[in-house]
Amino acid sequence: MSAEMLAMSEYGRDPRKHHFSPYADNGGTTIAIAGDDFVMVGSDTRLTNYSGILSRNQTKVFPLTEKTMIASTGCWADVLSLYKDLQAKLTLYSQEHHDEMSTPAIAQLVSTVLYWRRFFPYYVSNMVIGLDEDGSGVVYHYDPVGHMEKLRFSSAGASVAQIQPLLDNQLGALNMKDAVPPKVTKALAHQLMHDAFISAAERDVKTGDSCIIYTVTKDGVAEEQVKLRRD
Amino acid sequence: MTKDEDIDEVHTGFQFDNLARNNMLVSRGIQMPTAVKTGTTIVGVVYKEGVVLGADTRATSGDLIADKNCDKIHYMQPNIYCCGAGTAADLEMTTQLMSSQLELHRLNTGRQVLVRTANRMLSQMLFRYQGHVGAALVLGGVDKYGPALYSIHPHGSSDYGPYQVMGSGSLAAMSVFETRWKPDLELEEAKLMVRDAIAAGIFNDLFSGSNVDMCVITRDGATHVRPYEVANIKGKRLGKYNYKRGSTAVLSSNVKKIEIVSETVKKTPSSTDESMDTA
Amino acid sequence: MFLTRSEYDRGVNTFSPEGRLFQVEYAIEAIKLGSTAIGIQTSDGVVLAVEKRITSPLMIPATIEKIVQIDKHIGCAVSGLVADSRTLIDHARVECANHWFVYNQDMKVESVAQAVSNLAIRFGDNDSDGPAMSRPFGVAMLFAGVDKSGAQLYHLDPSGTFLHFCAKAIGSGSEGAQQSLQEAYHKSMTLDEALKTSLSILKQVMEEKVSSTNVEVAVITKEKGFTRHPQDEVEKIISAL
Repeated sequence: MSAEMLAMSEYGRDPRKHHFSPYADNGGTTIAIAGDDFVMVGSDTRLTNYSGILSRNQTKVFPLTEKTMIASTGCWADVLSLYKDLQAKLTLYSQEHHDEMSTPAIAQLVSTVLYWRRFFPYYVSNMVIGLDEDGSGVVYHYDPVGHMEKLRFSSAGASVAQIQPLLDNQLGALNMKDAVPPKVTKALAHQLMHDAFISAAERDVKTGDSCIIYTVTKDGVAEEQVKLRRD
Repeated sequence: MTKDEDIDEVHTGFQFDNLARNNMLVSRGIQMPTAVKTGTTIVGVVYKEGVVLGADTRATSGDLIADKNCDKIHYMQPNIYCCGAGTAADLEMTTQLMSSQLELHRLNTGRQVLVRTANRMLSQMLFRYQGHVGAALVLGGVDKYGPALYSIHPHGSSDYGPYQVMGSGSLAAMSVFETRWKPDLELEEAKLMVRDAIAAGIFNDLFSGSNVDMCVITRDGATHVRPYEVANIKGKRLGKYNYKRGSTAVLSSNVKKIEIVSETVKKTPSSTDESMDTA
Repeated sequence: MFLTRSEYDRGVNTFSPEGRLFQVEYAIEAIKLGSTAIGIQTSDGVVLAVEKRITSPLMIPATIEKIVQIDKHIGCAVSGLVADSRTLIDHARVECANHWFVYNQDMKVESVAQAVSNLAIRFGDNDSDGPAMSRPFGVAMLFAGVDKSGAQLYHLDPSGTFLHFCAKAIGSGSEGAQQSLQEAYHKSMTLDEALKTSLSILKQVMEEKVSSTNVEVAVITKEKGFTRHPQDEVEKIISAL
């Protein structure tokens, strides 16, 4: 290597652009399963930043109304900001229209709120879950810019790659010959959600510590916390 | 005399034949495969009679845990072991290569290999590869000069001291040594400190996890304990996930008849007298 | 400063010492010059019926439009300065469309009345929101629709006040018509009865002889939403009166 090349190699380069990213990936995994008269939603409670743990006890599921919740993971700052925005909009709605917003209306609102920021999006994976006007469970899944899909079950966040295939197989009876989807009972939903988190914690560094499972019924929201591995 | 052409024919060490091509592919937006990294916590501490090395057992590939129980404490010599953090393949090959070179060195010199020798050889090898061999090491052992402990960075620099840490969990582990280390530790004190340092990495660094492995080296030899402690208990699943026979769809089948021809050779009494000379 | 008390009616946002906004009161007076409009709410739906003043035999009566559709489930009858009503109707339609866009659901009738009221009281209020109307809107409106709470009838006047009514009449014949509505209305009224009642009251208060060409009728039900009542149907009811 010539002396000239050596001089160029490390210090003599052209000016370089340094990049700033306004987003962070704070991890977190969420799962939602709808039944005929209930909907179950859970999240792990680990909050991360790069290789560190910010919190071991932070839920990613937030109440919106008596029968609607939102599960959000991704950039934690955006999760908090989006939730605040939605809370304000819900308050305004109930004051303007003298009524609590229905789950389908919230689902549509979340889609529009996300799309309003099409070119500087909230870096968040969302699921809206709740009971619809007929009292049956529903799950809405979003991409960060507001594409909405109504589903019976879904997962989002850090461990989707591990969990979604399990749900598709066990609840959707996918990738099997002559299999029919099972009736989704509370027991089945709970078992799958529990086992999915246990297994995700085994293989995903960003999922762990514990999971909180919420069950929404017409009588209110029940809550259960299960320990996961902490490494 | 060896001609230049003859040297070119011999391929030893790394080959760089595809470097230019790969750089071109990357510049055209093709993603290169990612290597498994042992984003790790590894430590070593000198105590009264020797050295204690420790490591976690998690290997990761991105956010995915690739191996839940990998071995990061590598054998160098009966009196020297080496903990590795970084690119799994580099660590595996570097420690194996170095182990064999040290063995050759021992045979050539007829003496127990010095820890400082292993340090020098590893440093020089890593320096030669300018950091492209992604190995971060904690090297420990006992020789005629007593216990010795080094850490070696991927570019070839090395540190010598009574406690050393490496890997992504090094900050967590170092915090334990910085608060608790003192000269002339007893064996049990040293082991507990290493356990706690590795546990700090396991619980506070995402890329370290699973179990604590340990290796104690004294004048009388080494004991490699694996696992020294299972730091995390695996969660219990509620359900059983077995599949009914026939769940996998058969897309097409093709049956071919196979004729089995067997031939048996038997020893006859007449041929036993003259046995073949196989020497 | 002012020569007489009536000087207080110059500014649209100036209270008189008695606490009155004369321009708003004048606007309410303007409604009384308008044609009569009637709305009746029943459990099955709402009926809107308005008088069309045919001022010239050369005029095409069909071009008078005093009942308009706001959304598929809401209609509106107006009386007063009809031209003013166009701005408000436009606003109501935009609000309904926006509500559907944001929430994917039908806007409540009360919410529509509220939204229109917000615009109606912005007169003289030229700020950062852009130029507003320089005077109060000289129009009263009846919002009729079916939402999740059932059939609904709301009345809005130029002051921005909006109220829920079982039955309401506006316009020149409103005084007499409201009196008649009070007598005729009962909770178990059917939609057909309401149609008949509204037309019979119009017949009482209209100067012209009522016919299917000089009235406009619309019905809003849960099943069909906003529908204009066909002329021949109207004719049948009128002839049976």
